Amino acid sequence: MLKMLSFLYKYRIAAVAALLMMLIELTVEITQPYFIAKIIDDGIRQDDISVVWLWGGVLTVSTALAFACGIASSFFAAHASLGLSYDLREKLYRKVQSFSYSVFNRFAAPSLITRLTADVNQVQDLVFMSLRFMTRVPLVVIGSILMALIVNVKLGLLLVLTVPPLFVFVVWMTRKAIRMFHLVQQRLDNVNGVIQENLIGIRLIRVFVRMANEIGRFGATSGKLMQDSVRVLRLTESTMPFIFLLMNAGIIAVLWFGRQDISTGSATVGEVVAVVNYSLRTIGALSVLSWLVVVYSRSSASAERVQEVLAAEDGMEAAAAGQSAQNACPIEGAVEFDKVSFEYETSELAVLSDISFQTYPGERIAIIGATGSGKSSLIQLIPRLYEPREGAVRVDGTDVRQLNPFALRGAIGYVPQEITLFSGTVRENIAWGREDATMEEVMEAARQAQIHETIGSLSDGYHTMLGQRGVNLSGGQKQRLMIARALIRRPAILILDDSTSALDVRTEAALLEELKMLSCTTFIITQKISSTSSADLILLLDEGRLIAQGKHEELMQTSELYRRIYQSQYGEVAAHA
Amino acid sequence: MLKALIEPFRNPYPRHLTGESVSGKGDTGKPKTKVQNWSSTLRRVWSYLALRKGKLMLVLLMVVLSSALALLGPYLIGVAVDDYLEGGGGQDWVYFLIGLAVVYTLFSLTSWLQNIWMIEISQETIYRLRFDLFSHLHKLPIPFFGKRQQGEIMSRVTNDIENVSSTLNSSAIQIFSSVLTLIGTVTVMLLLSPLLTLLTFTVVPLMALGMRWITRRTGPLFKQRQRNLGELNGYIEETLSGQRMIKAFSQEDRAIRGFQERNERIRLSGFWALTISGFIPKLMNALNNMSFAIIAGIGGILAIRGAITVGIIIIFVEYARQFTRPLNDLANQWNTLLSAIAGAERVFEVMDEPEESSDEQAAVELKQMDGAIAFEQVSFGYDNNRPTLNGISFKVKPGEMIALVGPTGAGKTTLIQLLSRFYDADSGRVTVDGRDIRSIKRESLRSYMAFVLQDTFLFKGTIRENIRFGRLDATDEEVEQAARLANAEPFILRMKGGYDKVLDIGGSGISQGQKQLLAIARAILANPSILVLDEATSSIDTVTEIKIQEGLERLMEGRTSFVIAHRLNTIRSADRILVLKDGRLLEQGSHDELLRQNGFYRDLYASQLRKMAL
Repeated sequence: MLKMLSFLYKYRIAAVAALLMMLIELTVEITQPYFIAKIIDDGIRQDDISVVWLWGGVLTVSTALAFACGIASSFFAAHASLGLSYDLREKLYRKVQSFSYSVFNRFAAPSLITRLTADVNQVQDLVFMSLRFMTRVPLVVIGSILMALIVNVKLGLLLVLTVPPLFVFVVWMTRKAIRMFHLVQQRLDNVNGVIQENLIGIRLIRVFVRMANEIGRFGATSGKLMQDSVRVLRLTESTMPFIFLLMNAGIIAVLWFGRQDISTGSATVGEVVAVVNYSLRTIGALSVLSWLVVVYSRSSASAERVQEVLAAEDGMEAAAAGQSAQNACPIEGAVEFDKVSFEYETSELAVLSDISFQTYPGERIAIIGATGSGKSSLIQLIPRLYEPREGAVRVDGTDVRQLNPFALRGAIGYVPQEITLFSGTVRENIAWGREDATMEEVMEAARQAQIHETIGSLSDGYHTMLGQRGVNLSGGQKQRLMIARALIRRPAILILDDSTSALDVRTEAALLEELKMLSCTTFIITQKISSTSSADLILLLDEGRLIAQGKHEELMQTSELYRRIYQSQYGEVAAHA
Repeated sequence: MLKALIEPFRNPYPRHLTGESVSGKGDTGKPKTKVQNWSSTLRRVWSYLALRKGKLMLVLLMVVLSSALALLGPYLIGVAVDDYLEGGGGQDWVYFLIGLAVVYTLFSLTSWLQNIWMIEISQETIYRLRFDLFSHLHKLPIPFFGKRQQGEIMSRVTNDIENVSSTLNSSAIQIFSSVLTLIGTVTVMLLLSPLLTLLTFTVVPLMALGMRWITRRTGPLFKQRQRNLGELNGYIEETLSGQRMIKAFSQEDRAIRGFQERNERIRLSGFWALTISGFIPKLMNALNNMSFAIIAGIGGILAIRGAITVGIIIIFVEYARQFTRPLNDLANQWNTLLSAIAGAERVFEVMDEPEESSDEQAAVELKQMDGAIAFEQVSFGYDNNRPTLNGISFKVKPGEMIALVGPTGAGKTTLIQLLSRFYDADSGRVTVDGRDIRSIKRESLRSYMAFVLQDTFLFKGTIRENIRFGRLDATDEEVEQAARLANAEPFILRMKGGYDKVLDIGGSGISQGQKQLLAIARAILANPSILVLDEATSSIDTVTEIKIQEGLERLMEGRTSFVIAHRLNTIRSADRILVLKDGRLLEQGSHDELLRQNGFYRDLYASQLRKMAL
């Protein structure tokens, strides 16, 4: 929580101003009875109407002042708390963006979403509430206790005595509540997760008629959220009754001892009444406390969750920022793998082991192999989405870990296997690859990717809005759009991860023909021998091992597996033809 | 320093919300309709609360009791001062104090009970609301989801509902008791001096005016804030889902810029919502102070004239203060109430979306399905001016295997979507076993079909659970059997944990091809009458494909099946091939027949062969 306060520093003037305004308002409120007393004593009692007017006027002016201060404090408090949440949210998002991809994967997306929205909002609420209301409580409580002590030390001490247990109780309660709210926020993450899953998989759920199950699952997840919320709120809502009980016990004690003292003459009735009054006032102020306990403990839990993300190591990305663009020379596209082994953090199975190969700028490399043989993992090492456990990946002879990732990735056009489009127009989605691309360049890239004509037939052409996952396009159209997005970067290295699987043969052929014209090093993951046969280098993977490499003719000679793949596609067909 | 002091006042007001008269077009957010909206929103929230009417009555009872006890306490202290402290008094002092202790204890008890009961009620309400919203999502037509960002919908189920939740927890009771206290105080004031009461109330119209000014603005502002929060949520969800692309294209800066833009929007709407709604307690305070001044001033003059006594003025000032407190409380609660209403409105907005056109009344449950399918002159377009399918007619006999072939965007997937009734044909009809599918209950129809869709989706859960999704009552043995048929078992067993390995959302950690194998296993398990494979093996290597071919063939035996594929191997074994192009059915027939026809298919086939010959 304290860490969050550092975010308030930037808004300290507004925050202090808000508190100050509150103080002025409070002062006016407190002095009002005094003015009224003046009106009554000096005005009415003395039958002096001018005094009534005078103090009436003062009263009016001070009221106006209090109002103005109140309005101003509203501005200041809102400014400080929303400024804080804005900064916090941005810092958090920047942090998430700075994570290397493997660190990023450690956090579940739904959880990051709750942290960025709900959790930050909790912190913001606390700051806003504090600036507006929290000042009042301690002022009234401390003031009342002091006054009680001044009036009568012994009876006042009774009031003081209630403070330590009260304090202990509130601290204990808050600690416990923080832990429980932590759990509640996690439950919220889970609810978020189920919703996200259901939204992504909605078609599948519909066709398999699993709505009832999913609704049941959601019911269970949000049921847990309800249970835990009830549990923690039940606890925090007990604060107020408990405090009342304690303070009221104090009042009874004051009455009891007060009466004894009156009879011995060490206290007057007036003193006892005064102390009782101060106790009552304290109780009044403390009744806000239970509500503050809820707000405070909830936002503390949220602050911790935010802090967890902020404190996470960034992975390589941060280090990279330091080495800046020292390698300013353009990347030519020679890629070399030197005894590379790799595994994902989450699984203990080696995905790639001991891979070595060498390519030259402008070459076409086809990667082929069975499902799950490590093809996608291999190419993800090139833009350094992941790092090898052993060995090195070199681009133009330099270890990618030594290259500035932004320079490296700037030279790479990557088309992943999964459809990833963003909501926006067709043009925006293509130009996403390079922001400053002109319309001509966008169209050129679309033409190369064989999608230009299709776009032309859309209702709004390049300005057609796409849904988040490009729902209104066919699978093959989405793939070509993604290819256009990679091509517009004019990459030195182009990576196509099975990106033509949904294309019909003709379109695919035209596309590959187009790609041949480009001068970039091209990696193509494919299942089709037809795409490998003209490659400069074929890499044949099997269970994470590079079992053969070379040209088509060589592999036909040397590799049993390659021949089998060939057979599987050509054997019968060839016979038919 | 000065700049920092001025800064808060220079935040620009959200543009389209400025002034009530500016927006000339359809969006006439007239305050009156706004208020009606609110009352209907509140009524709907109430209808949820009313489900626990009994408990709610108990809470109300406790509120009344605790309010009474709260008044009794100070009264008893007065008695104590008068009778015991001043008078010296009798021996029943101890009993009196015990009585006081009982009152205090009862007070704590009743307020505790009202709190925890209210929490149970409100959390249950929230649960129901959330549940209903979620259930409703599953009734909405598929196009609804195409138009919206997932994160935006998520925000409604979480952020907006949480907003309602926090209000119900704390504010409901406060509002109850404030209203109660208010009524009590006004009654006493009226009894004491109707004239001064009237004077006190002179500020009420001002109050009403001020509140109107404020709520006119805060209503739309809170709504705007929740909307902006939804947009931000949508943006976050989308960029996090596409994080790999952002990394690979090093577009982090752009992602951050987009974020900043949305973050700023929410900052502004939030700033103004909080600031202006923050005026409420200030206004209340000022008006109260004003009523003090009026009482003191006019009361003073009256007193000088001898119309009333000074004592009455003093009492009245006290009561005016009493009158203020609950009003102040109410005003403070008003803020949270406003933002809760904004949240609730957004929730009900989704709930009011029309459901996937409900089944016709006469729609039937299917007892069994043979799998005869016919398309009769079916046309369909996603947007009206551009038909995706155009006059498609064909018939399929039960047990036939149909391959759909054609260039991308020819309408193959759309045809499947009509069959599964994600969409309904614009004209013409689709029949199953001779019955128009619109006369069959959707769920019933779908329960006889199994789909392997183009984008495979895996849930967070074990591999076993993911396969079992195909048929929930399948035994472990059946699940494994299906995995073996789909040739998925080798890779499953290679993973640590095997079938019990937990997969993430979207199944990251396993390859696309492996996902497809699992999806096929799922379809095998479903044991459907109609099987649809939409590019089901596109990411699977050909060697593995041959291995699962046998499994698939066994699966397709005796079932009607539709296969969309580009690989000729897959297609050639089909009983019939439908060639689609630009939404029209160009040719149909078996592989050999089509080759003889010398048409589009032959072209297609030849081009693939030519490539092979390379």
